[in-house]
Amino acid sequence: MMLFLSSVFTKTVRDNWRGWLIAVICLCAIFLLAMAIYRDIDLGVYQSMPEAFRKMVGIPEEADVGSLAVNAFVGSYGAMVLAAMALAMGSAAIASEEREGTIALLLASPKSRTRVLLSKIAPMALLAAASVLAIWGAIYLSAASLSVSIAGLDVGALMLHLFANSVFYGLLATAVSAWAGSRGAGVGAAIGVMIASFVAVGVLPMVEAAEDLGKPFPWYYFSGGEPLLNGVAWGHVAVLLGASAVLAGAAVVGLNRRDLKAQSVGEGWLKRLRSSPAVRRTIGRLGASARVSSIRAKTASDYQTLLVITALYTFLIQGIMIGPIFAGMSEEALQSMAAYPEAMVALFGGGDASTPQGYYQIETFGMMAPIVVMIVTIAIGAGALAGEESRRTMGLLLASPLKRSRVILEKTGTMVVFAAFMGFVTFAGVALGSAVGGLGLNTGHIAATCVLETLVGLVFGALSLALGAATGRKAVAIFVTIAAGVALHLFNGLTVLNDRLTGWAWLSPFHYYLGHDPLNNGMDWSHAAVLAGLSALLIIISIPLFQRRDLRQAG
Amino acid sequence: MSQQAAIHTESLTKHYGRVRALEGLDLDIQPGEVFGFLGPNGAGKTTTIRTLMDEIRPTGGRASILGMDTHRSSVQIRNHIGYLPGDLALYPNLTGRETITYYANLRGGVDWKQVEALAERLHSDLDRKVGDLSSGNRQKVGIIQAFMRQPEVLILDEPSAGLDPLMQREFQEMMREAAEAGRTVFLSSHALSEVERVAHRVGIIRQGRLVAVETIPGLRSRAMRHVDLVLDTAPQPDLFAAVPGVREVKVSGRHVAMAICGETGPLLQAVAGRYAILDVSTQEADLEEIFLTYYKEDGTGS
Repeated sequence: MMLFLSSVFTKTVRDNWRGWLIAVICLCAIFLLAMAIYRDIDLGVYQSMPEAFRKMVGIPEEADVGSLAVNAFVGSYGAMVLAAMALAMGSAAIASEEREGTIALLLASPKSRTRVLLSKIAPMALLAAASVLAIWGAIYLSAASLSVSIAGLDVGALMLHLFANSVFYGLLATAVSAWAGSRGAGVGAAIGVMIASFVAVGVLPMVEAAEDLGKPFPWYYFSGGEPLLNGVAWGHVAVLLGASAVLAGAAVVGLNRRDLKAQSVGEGWLKRLRSSPAVRRTIGRLGASARVSSIRAKTASDYQTLLVITALYTFLIQGIMIGPIFAGMSEEALQSMAAYPEAMVALFGGGDASTPQGYYQIETFGMMAPIVVMIVTIAIGAGALAGEESRRTMGLLLASPLKRSRVILEKTGTMVVFAAFMGFVTFAGVALGSAVGGLGLNTGHIAATCVLETLVGLVFGALSLALGAATGRKAVAIFVTIAAGVALHLFNGLTVLNDRLTGWAWLSPFHYYLGHDPLNNGMDWSHAAVLAGLSALLIIISIPLFQRRDLRQAG
Repeated sequence: MSQQAAIHTESLTKHYGRVRALEGLDLDIQPGEVFGFLGPNGAGKTTTIRTLMDEIRPTGGRASILGMDTHRSSVQIRNHIGYLPGDLALYPNLTGRETITYYANLRGGVDWKQVEALAERLHSDLDRKVGDLSSGNRQKVGIIQAFMRQPEVLILDEPSAGLDPLMQREFQEMMREAAEAGRTVFLSSHALSEVERVAHRVGIIRQGRLVAVETIPGLRSRAMRHVDLVLDTAPQPDLFAAVPGVREVKVSGRHVAMAICGETGPLLQAVAGRYAILDVSTQEADLEEIFLTYYKEDGTGS
C-alpha cells in the first residue's frame, strides 16, 4: 500500500506550484540585482557595523560580494519567503478544506485521515526542495554571469539549512492548524515563532550574558552555524528535521483525534478563549469583534486585526528600534557609511547612509514601510470587490438599495483611513525612535515622508481595487498588484543605477515617494499630488469597470 | 392597461458567449401574485433572477419591476425588493443578528419586532455565528432578511433548500400571507409540489426558454398522472384507451395501470359504468414528465 495518495498529492502540487514558482523567480531576480550592486560597492562598511546588527541581517564577518549577496538575500529574505510559502501551504492542508466544506467529501473516500494529511504535507516538502534547488542553480548562474567568485562558499550547506528551515515552519503551521482546525491559528503561530526567533537570534547575542539565549529559538538552527561559511551544521539540521518529524506526527495525532468541522469558522480554542470576559474585552479592542453598522464599519472590522498587527510591527520594529541601533553604531561605521556608493543607496530610495535620515530611509522607508502599508491597502482593495464576489456574498450586498459605486467608495473610504493610520503609526514610531536615539530628525520631514508613504500604499491598494473591479477575481487582484509593485520598485532602483533609464524614473510610483528625498528636503507637494491623483484615478476607473460588468456567480 | 405588472420582462435574453442561458423570456407577473418559476437545473431560473437583480445585464430585451427598468432604476427598485439568492452565501464570522443588522442598515433600518417574530416563526437562533449553522438554519437567516421589511416584491431563488418539511410548510404559509397582503412573490423552484401549494401561476422554463405559463388548475388539467385501478374482474383494455387523455394502458388481471393527462373524472365514470372499482391510487407525474407534456405540444423539443 502506498503511503501517499497520488490523487491528493497531485492536486496539492497543482494547487500550489505557481505560488512557489513566483516566489522563487522574485527571489532570484532580487538576488541577481543585489549581487550586481554589491559587486560595484565598497564593502568595508559592513565590517564596521555592530556585530549584532550584522548577524541579524545575516552578514558574515569576512564579507565579500558573494557571501554578502547570498547571505543577505537568500539566507535571510529567501529563508523567510520559503518559510512563509511552506507555512501558508501547511496551514491550508486540512483547515482550508474544512472551511470550504470540501473535507467531508475528501474524507468520505476510504482513506485514513493520516494518509490524506501526509499526502498533503509531502508536496510541501517537494516544492520546498524544488525551490531550493532552483535557487541553488540561480546562485551559480548569477555568480557566473556577473563574474563574482563564490568559490569559498558552501552554498549547498546553506541550501540544506534553507530546506530544513522551510519545512520546519510549514509543519509547525500544519500541526497547529490540524489541532485547532483553523488556518489562522496555524499561520499566526508559525509566523509569530518565525519573527520572534528571527529577532531573538539577531538581538540576544548583542547582550553578552544572553548570548546562549538564542538557542531555544528555531531560527538559531538555521543561521546560528553560519552554514554558508562553515558548511553544514549537521546537528542543527538534525534538530530542524527532527522537530519537523515530531510536528508532522503531532499534526497526524491532532487531526485524528478531533471532530471535523462542518464548513465553519468557529475556532474552538479561540472561542473558548473568547468566553473569558477579560480576553473578550481585549480582543474586542483589537478589533476581532464584528461591527456591522455600515459597509465602512464592517470593512474596518474585517481588517482591523491585520491593521493592529502591521501597525505594531511598524511602530516597534521599523520605527522605534532603528533609532537606537543607529545611535549605537561606531564612528568608523558612520564614516564608512558615508562612502556608501550612490547606486547601492539609490536602490533603497536614495540618501546618505551615514546620516540618521539616510539610515532610516534604508531600514524603514525604502522598502519595509511601503510594503507594510501595501499589505493593508492591497488586502482591503482586493477584498473589497473581488473578495466578496469570490465568496459569493456580493449578490446579497448589492440587493440593498445602493449603487455599486457607493459600495466601492465606502470600502475605499476604509482603505484610505487605514492607510493614513499606518502612515501615522510610522510617523509616531520613527519620531520616537529618533528621539530615543537622539538623532534629531526633523519632525515635519518625517511627517512628509509618512504622508508620501501612505499615498504610495494607496496607489497599489487602488490598483488591486481596480483589478478586482475589472475581473472579480481576488487572485488576479492580489498577484498582479504584487508583481507590479515588485517590478516598479526594482525599476525605480534601476533608473538610478543606469543613466540611460534615469529619464524614465517618472514611470514608477516609487519615484514620487522618495525621489525627492523627503526625509532631508521635506514635502514635495507635486509628488504627493501625483500619487494622490493616481490613486484617485484608479479608484474612479474602478467604478465604471465594476458597474458595467456582470457579477461572477461562483468563486 | 388594467394594472401595472409587478414584474415584467420583454424578450429578455442572456448569452454567455455561445451558451444561450436565456432566450426571449416574456413574463408578466401581477401584484399580489405568487408566481412559481419552475425548471430543471440549468434551465435559466437563476440567470433570470440575477438579471432582475441587475447582478448581470441582459444581452437583449428588457425587464422591469414595479414599472421601473431593472438596470436603470436598479437602486430604487431594491428599496422595494426582498431577495434570497440561490445557493446562499453569508459572512461566516457574523452572527445571524449581525447579518440582519448589516443588511437592515443598508436599507435604512428595520422593525426588530418583525425580525424577532420571523425568527420565532422559523425557530431561528440569531445569536449563533452563521458559519456554525447548518445549511437549513443559514437559509432561515436568508429568509428572514428577505422578509423583514415586508417588501412589495419578493424574489426567492430556491428558497426552501435545506429546510425541513415542517419549516417548508411554515415558509409556504409566509409566502401565502405575503400574497394575501398584496405583495408579489417570484418563487423559483424545481419542486412542483412546493410551487403547486403556494403559487397562483407557474412558468415553466427549459433550456433558457419559457415553455408555458399556466394557472395551477390549468397545470393540473394538463399534467400527466399515473393511475392504478383494482377492479372486481379483469377488464377490456379498449375501454380505457377510449377515454380522452389516457395513455400507456397496461392491464394485468384485475390491475390496470395507465397515464392520464387532465382530470380523472371522465375515466372513473367510464370505468364505474362497467366494473366495480375496488381501489384507486393516483401518482403525480414527476417534473420531467410534465415538461415532456409541454415540450411535445410546444414542438420546440430537440
